[in-house]
Amino acid sequence: MSFWQVTMKRSVRLSRSYFVIGIVTTLYGIILSNIMSIIPADSANPAPIDLSNNFPILSVAILSLSGLLFSLPVVMLFVYDKNNGVLEYLLSTGLDQLDIFKGYVKASLTLATYLLVFAVIFNTAIGFILGTSLSLLASMAVLTFVIGISEVFLVTVCMMAFSSLQKTPMGANQPLGVVIGIIPMFPALILPLAFPAYAIVIDLLIAVITLLVSFVLLLSIGRLILREKLLP
Amino acid sequence: MQKLELHELSAGYGSEEVIHRISLELTEPSIYVVLGPNGAGKTTLFRTISGILKPFSGQAKFDDMDLFSSKEARRRIAYLSHLNALPEEMTVYNALKYYADVEGGDVDHVLKLLNLIELRDKKFSSLSQGQKKRVSVGKIFLRERDLYLLDEPTSNVDPKISKEIRELLIRLSKDKFVLYSSHNLYEAREIGTYLIVIKNGELKFFDKIENVKTKQYRVGIKTLNGISRLLPESKFENGYYVVTVDGPSEVAKIVGNLVRLGAEIVEIRELDNPLQEFFEEG
Repeated sequence: MSFWQVTMKRSVRLSRSYFVIGIVTTLYGIILSNIMSIIPADSANPAPIDLSNNFPILSVAILSLSGLLFSLPVVMLFVYDKNNGVLEYLLSTGLDQLDIFKGYVKASLTLATYLLVFAVIFNTAIGFILGTSLSLLASMAVLTFVIGISEVFLVTVCMMAFSSLQKTPMGANQPLGVVIGIIPMFPALILPLAFPAYAIVIDLLIAVITLLVSFVLLLSIGRLILREKLLP
Repeated sequence: MQKLELHELSAGYGSEEVIHRISLELTEPSIYVVLGPNGAGKTTLFRTISGILKPFSGQAKFDDMDLFSSKEARRRIAYLSHLNALPEEMTVYNALKYYADVEGGDVDHVLKLLNLIELRDKKFSSLSQGQKKRVSVGKIFLRERDLYLLDEPTSNVDPKISKEIRELLIRLSKDKFVLYSSHNLYEAREIGTYLIVIKNGELKFFDKIENVKTKQYRVGIKTLNGISRLLPESKFENGYYVVTVDGPSEVAKIVGNLVRLGAEIVEIRELDNPLQEFFEEG
């Protein structure tokens, strides 16, 4: 079993609560995505603001967030391993800082992939049963996966970078990674509402840019953050 | 021939230089005890040799390979920090397996070597400090290396485990380089062949331990009968007649005389460790 696979297993064992929260959030996203198919529209008393068309976009955001919640324990494990000297020992065995960062990123992305694939399959199946249009289901599936993965990638890299750079083990910089990682989600959520005709293109573009930024950031921190920053 | 070379090595953290222009050449497999007060730079030295810290200047080489840039050179080094550095949530077997998966190695061999078989399925976090240390030491024996860096491997362990670790290192040092930092001066004298003293980040002494000369040599003599009359220059302290002499040879003469004059000697004890001087200020 390779380093990232063990890291993934350890993360699952260390913080099960996050996995439960991730699954609950997924179910919530799936319900939100399909709720308008269940509740019949009341044409006699129309709502002052009709949000029903926006529910699929909202559910994409929630399902992506569930992927993030599901993979958060990996970064917490990174901090824990840094503080108890595991990373120091790994460095001494010949690994470089980039090898270590990559290991945690792989673990994080794999965990998120498991949940997002489950979410996409489940959501598509329910939507199909309820008669949701296939093009909408396909769009939601692609967007959920791509936005979810890009967001998890960016958050993981940012959190590792900030926790490596903070001077004291108890510093508060680590959550900054989550904040920065979630920022790309706002335009991915708002712009499609403003330009519904380009919703998929806009979100795909944001996701691809986020993935590229995350990748460049990963390579950069592997070079710019010195090995000593991983010491306890 | 294998050798560890440190050439004008300076290193530290951020912009703070902790060790300054250390030059050393270790050519013989043996135990090299690294001594120095807290904050002297021992851990920084070990971290630099193990390739974790980038030198500010100078070079650390093992077998002519740069220890910071060569992964191959780093793989030939084992570094045991003063932390246990093991995943606490795992069992002993799985914690060692975790590293074996990363760098290769034989977990069962380590369990046997350090008598850890009984602890195999226990959670690492549930072990006593001494047991944790043993497991922690175990990880550096997962596979064979040529240079072992051990930062206070016997701190917080009971005398029995401490002895086991020392014996293991003595066996190891027959054909491997072992650099061993300790605050225990008696332990240092017991197992070390060479002494490296670091103070304020600078190399203060490097030679065989047997060549360490002490400024004063105090010996305590315990007897069944009073000997203050036979040894008027002595002071009676804590049950011992204490005399200050120039060296061990003088003790032999004094003891010979005392026995001839009827002293019933039950114990002779060296009261000062010559290595103590390296911890003193100045």
